[in-house]
Amino acid sequence: MHRRDFLTHSLAGALGVLGLPSSALAIGDDDRFTVSLLKYSDKGWNTRPTALRRMLQEVEKRTSVEIKPPPDGDHVTFGPDLFTRPMLFMCGESSFEPWSNERIDMMRQWMMAGGFLVVDSSEGVSDGPFLRSVRRELARIFPDEPERAIPTDHVIYKSFYLFNNDQNPYAEPHGRVEVDRKLRGHFDGDRVPVVISANDMLGAWARDGFGRWEYDVVPGGSPQRELSFRMGINLVMYALCVNYKADQVHIPFILKRRKWRVQ
Amino acid sequence: MNLEIFEQYNSGDVLWLGDWGLLWIVGLLVIGALVVGLSAYDLRPLKPLRRWTLVALRALVYLLAVAMLLEPALDLKNVSKVKNNVAVLVDTSSSMQLKTLEQGKGDEGSSRYALIRDFLPEFAALVEREKEAHEFTFFSYGESLAPSSRQALEKSKQPSAHASDLTQALIGVKKHYEGKEIGGVIVLSDGIDSGAIGRRTKRGEELDVTSQALLAELEAPINTVAAGRAEGLKDVAISRILHEDFGFVHNKLSVQVELQVIGMSEMSFPVTLRREGQVLQTRQVTLEPGKTRYLVDFDFVPEKIGKEIYAVSVPVFDGEALDRNNKGYFLLKVIRDKVRVLQVVGRPSWDERLMRRLLKRNPNVDLISFFILRTNQSLNNVRQEEMSLIPFPTQELFEQELGSFDLVIFQNFNFGPYDMRKYLPEIEQFVRDGGGFVMIGGDLSFASGGYTRTPIESVLPVELPPGSGDAVIDKKNFRPVLTEAGKRHPITQLAFDPATNAKLWGELPEQKGTNIVLGAKPWATVLARHESLTYNGERMPVITIGEVDDGRVMALTTDSTWRWGFEYLGKGGTPREYQLFWNNAIRWLIKDPELKLVKLEMAEDTHTPGAAVPLTVRVSKPDYTPAENVTGELEIVWRSLEGLSSDAEDKRETLPSIPFKTGASGVANLEYTPVKPGAYELRAKVAVADGELEDQSTMLVVDDVREWRDIIPRDALLESISNLTQGEHMALPDASVSNFAFAEPRAVKINRRKVIHLWDSAIMFLLILTLLGSEWTLRRRWGRL
Repeated sequence: MHRRDFLTHSLAGALGVLGLPSSALAIGDDDRFTVSLLKYSDKGWNTRPTALRRMLQEVEKRTSVEIKPPPDGDHVTFGPDLFTRPMLFMCGESSFEPWSNERIDMMRQWMMAGGFLVVDSSEGVSDGPFLRSVRRELARIFPDEPERAIPTDHVIYKSFYLFNNDQNPYAEPHGRVEVDRKLRGHFDGDRVPVVISANDMLGAWARDGFGRWEYDVVPGGSPQRELSFRMGINLVMYALCVNYKADQVHIPFILKRRKWRVQ
Repeated sequence: MNLEIFEQYNSGDVLWLGDWGLLWIVGLLVIGALVVGLSAYDLRPLKPLRRWTLVALRALVYLLAVAMLLEPALDLKNVSKVKNNVAVLVDTSSSMQLKTLEQGKGDEGSSRYALIRDFLPEFAALVEREKEAHEFTFFSYGESLAPSSRQALEKSKQPSAHASDLTQALIGVKKHYEGKEIGGVIVLSDGIDSGAIGRRTKRGEELDVTSQALLAELEAPINTVAAGRAEGLKDVAISRILHEDFGFVHNKLSVQVELQVIGMSEMSFPVTLRREGQVLQTRQVTLEPGKTRYLVDFDFVPEKIGKEIYAVSVPVFDGEALDRNNKGYFLLKVIRDKVRVLQVVGRPSWDERLMRRLLKRNPNVDLISFFILRTNQSLNNVRQEEMSLIPFPTQELFEQELGSFDLVIFQNFNFGPYDMRKYLPEIEQFVRDGGGFVMIGGDLSFASGGYTRTPIESVLPVELPPGSGDAVIDKKNFRPVLTEAGKRHPITQLAFDPATNAKLWGELPEQKGTNIVLGAKPWATVLARHESLTYNGERMPVITIGEVDDGRVMALTTDSTWRWGFEYLGKGGTPREYQLFWNNAIRWLIKDPELKLVKLEMAEDTHTPGAAVPLTVRVSKPDYTPAENVTGELEIVWRSLEGLSSDAEDKRETLPSIPFKTGASGVANLEYTPVKPGAYELRAKVAVADGELEDQSTMLVVDDVREWRDIIPRDALLESISNLTQGEHMALPDASVSNFAFAEPRAVKINRRKVIHLWDSAIMFLLILTLLGSEWTLRRRWGRL
């Protein structure tokens, strides 16, 4: 008997004693990484239904993170389910009604417990009705912490891919369009629990059922779309590892590599 | 009046007994002036002689009348002066035993104390001569001031006090004569003051302001007599070891050694620092002409938590006055400043995310994280330079730096892809040597991570099944069920009340699957089991802990505890339970002293032979309530200091144990008196149902050699003290008692006293009548009515 066969038989025996099904699946499929959209309003919350699944596929292909692909349009609403998803996306292109105080409190608690919200406008302008509505609600969640541009040396720009260098001083939130050269957000200490992008990143990720890109990316075309995916992966890594790449041990390596440029 | 009465008194004063205020007296004088003025005006027709005679008589009568109102009296006293006090302080510290060279001779002469002893008889004449003015009292001083007598001090053979605290002695003199007058102090000493003045005034320096103020408080001249000279003295002494009482493990610590060197020719010699008998560092000291004080610095890093005994030594040279001061010992309590945690994660996940957040937020944790962000299976379509990934420094972490961590966490991490098999024995040894290790579940952990039949499995508290991958994983949701041990163990005790604790565990979010393990090792303790999976009729362990040699380990077979800290909030819970569980687990894994069930405590770590040392043993039950009526033994092992400070054999001797029994508060108070110098290793042992619990400590017992640390006479210090206080300074054997300076007594004693009332005598009355009659007669005769 080969060693592998022996082990397999031994295991089968052991599992038999344990009374387990031999077809047991991997631990915690429910614990695999996934993201959902936040259904923040009755309409207009699902402007890019296919984007997250496509982006997560890239995460699984390029990193060690194991994902649970969400069905198109997967979402959570305000309620206990919110606390099963530590990372949420919020997209839209129109204004929405103010949230109740209860929802504001719930979102604040979710973010303070470690939740990470990415707001991505599908509008293609830097100050459209959707972003104005979002900013109105975020100002209620963070009454003492105004929205700020995220500095270019922030760990978000180096959590997996390196984003800023000598030639390209802007750590841009590349998306379907480029209407704002900065990511913005609210801070909780040195952590950013909410990130705001006006460049429609989800638009750059969206693909139809035949694998075709749903939207053209302007003005940069394919390199801009690639940078958009890189930004998405960095946001996922930031959600999972927070300031891991700011640990002292990584700094010499990162400084050494700050010379690249995407062609 | 018999005038002989005045001969009995040598002092007198006039008293005014009348109870008149100043205003009244001034008023009477003003009235008197008016009366005299009016009289002079009224009598102006008379010849001047007659006029002024009458005015004078009237003024005299008025003054006498006023004087009678003021009630004058004569206060006669017989007084004599009161003697003030002179304190003679004789230094009886051990350094007075040292021999001193007689001037002009090369050989050893008398001891410093013998010089004083020879001088003391001269005080008989001094006491006799000054008996009218000064009361002499003799004191000895060493660690403290003690009344003595000249005769006793002359008979004293071997001064043996462990200190020569002149400062405290002078303060003692002030207290001794509180309310009395001090006429002077005489200090007979070699000038070494182990007290405040001696410490504050370095050799060659003037007395500082504080010392000057302290000496001025005596308000008396301090005469000093120096016994002993520095000339001819030969010695190398470790005069001080400046060190902290505790240090932090893996953090640099500095120790400064001060040497006093005298009489040595120019040379260099080593100063050696040993830790537990092993040479740690050696520094070379080169002597310079005229320099007596040398400082040697040692920097080192304590590597183990606990108490360590350090020894500093210098060689003993021929002709040295003493060899006892060539060694010094100190005990260092090494504690952890921060818990150094290595978190190794096979892939980013929410479980890792919440764990890192918890560890990062704990100010007592120094966290080093390594996450595998990308594997060889990951698509690689960009250049390495475009990513922030760094190589996994396995050799550095698991070979070079492993010992610096207190706790290693393998969180869903498989070693296989990283060529780490060769480091697994290192990790096993790290645990056996006292490190903490926890494996957290996931599809890359336990058997799925390939740990079956590896050195890691030998230290895990659970048995792993053969095989790997998904086959040894169960994905059903479940709630861990606490075992009896789990209900009272600090890791799983989320609430003190058992019912509340059980309720909390029932409310926590379910775990999303588990790694499969075959059961707990015989030496392990299962805190929680799976609610349905069984092995050999027993539910499968989920949270298991154990002790492996000196280390502690924990196996947690799920990767969903993060839900206790996040999902639970959606159900109205708080993250407290998650934080409490993991913080308690970390404290237990690193052997936080607060979580010990048996604690041996002592207030001080360093003692002198013969001094009773109070010890406390605290025993707690597994649920950390006091363990009443528990019996145990305190085992004592003695180690020789010689073995700790030289290459000599490390001699050990087991001494009789001390039995103890705890009281109602779980405490046993003991007392132990070490009889000889050495290091004493104490181990309090308590037998419990499943074995033995113990705690250990070390105390250092050394002779009090403060007095030998600085043996060079300080003639200059004595002279400074005398100069400041207007006393005289002399040096033996050339001193003379006739040169001492004393303050004259200021107080007097009234032996006899008599008060004679002048105002109520008949003479006074007749005198006034006579004067009045004379004035009336003359006035009539000179033609005035």
